[in-house]
Amino acid sequence: MKCADLEILLCDYVDGTLDGEQNAAVEQHLAACATCAQLARDVSTAVVFTAEVEPVTPPDELITHLLFQVPKAKAHGVRGGWRGMLSRWMEPVLQPRFAMGMAMTILSFSLLARFAGIPERQLTPADLHPARVWATVDDRAHATWDRLVKYYNSLKVVYEIQSRLSEWNEEDVAVAEEPPAPVPDQNEISPIKPANQGLAGEGSVVR
Amino acid sequence: MDPDIRLIERCLSGDEAAWEDLVRTHTRRVYSICYRFTNNQTEAQDITQEVFLRIFKSLKSFRASEGAFNTWLTRLTRNLLIDHYRRGKMDRATDSIETQLPVMQEKASPTTRTDAMVASREASEILQAALQRLSPDLREAVILRDLEEMEYREIAAVMKVPEGTVKSRLNRGRAELARVLRRQKVVV
Repeated sequence: MKCADLEILLCDYVDGTLDGEQNAAVEQHLAACATCAQLARDVSTAVVFTAEVEPVTPPDELITHLLFQVPKAKAHGVRGGWRGMLSRWMEPVLQPRFAMGMAMTILSFSLLARFAGIPERQLTPADLHPARVWATVDDRAHATWDRLVKYYNSLKVVYEIQSRLSEWNEEDVAVAEEPPAPVPDQNEISPIKPANQGLAGEGSVVR
Repeated sequence: MDPDIRLIERCLSGDEAAWEDLVRTHTRRVYSICYRFTNNQTEAQDITQEVFLRIFKSLKSFRASEGAFNTWLTRLTRNLLIDHYRRGKMDRATDSIETQLPVMQEKASPTTRTDAMVASREASEILQAALQRLSPDLREAVILRDLEEMEYREIAAVMKVPEGTVKSRLNRGRAELARVLRRQKVVV
């Protein structure tokens, strides 16, 4: 038997609930292992000591408080019929935390509807048609984008940067359109005669 | 049928006397666990009240198929104690208790009943101080088994660990307890 096996059986050994074979194996190990023997002595000491302690008694006022101060609402019995079924079905939903969530959801949808341009009037089934909703949202998105682009372009810093960039572009174009510098004439500098003409004269053919 | 199940059914049907019976039956045990764990009467009373308040509110959610009412009650108590411990409301034992533990003299045999009662009370005080030296896991194992005499499988259901783990923690808790007693020269 290993020490790890003894640790599992030690509780039952102290309780006296081990069968003969296991009991003998435990005692054999305890006789051979000083560490486990000390552990067994410690465990037995603690068990004996805790058996001597006085049990804890709650104060009388505690029981009185529990009986009369804890709200003794009428115990809810299980209601039958359609009322009971409806209340059981709605009970998980009708809680304060869900009510807050529902209120925020309604508020968010109303804000979205205002942004999407849904007119504030009594909604009709036609208003909720997906194609109509999509067309409205698409128009509003494009209009918003155009307004954003216009606003962006009208910003002073953007205007100045664009002006500077256009000036630089014009300069580059002007530089590119300037006539090229004249290339010097090669004949005027140093006419280089062919070697055969220098010996036989011009136009002659050397045979 | 578990007698507690009958009490619960009567409570749910509106029988106020059943609630009184339920409180009187289980208060001692819940308070004992709380006091042994916290070593503070006020905190133990507060947690006991919280336990019964939650029981009162959630009694209809108890399912007999999920286990005994006693196990459910102990698990609820244990969870509240762990939450309380984690919130740091308990005073951590920073001072050495060696100077605080009294020395208990061995008597060959208690000559009078009064002496035995005094010895029992002193042992309880010594045990309370020694339990605070244990970690929460070991402490609850010792309390539930050696002081509340719960079965190993019940303790395993309360602590939601295997039985082997319960026994391992119990051995380590008992060994640590014995070492504290030995350091204080408490003769058992």
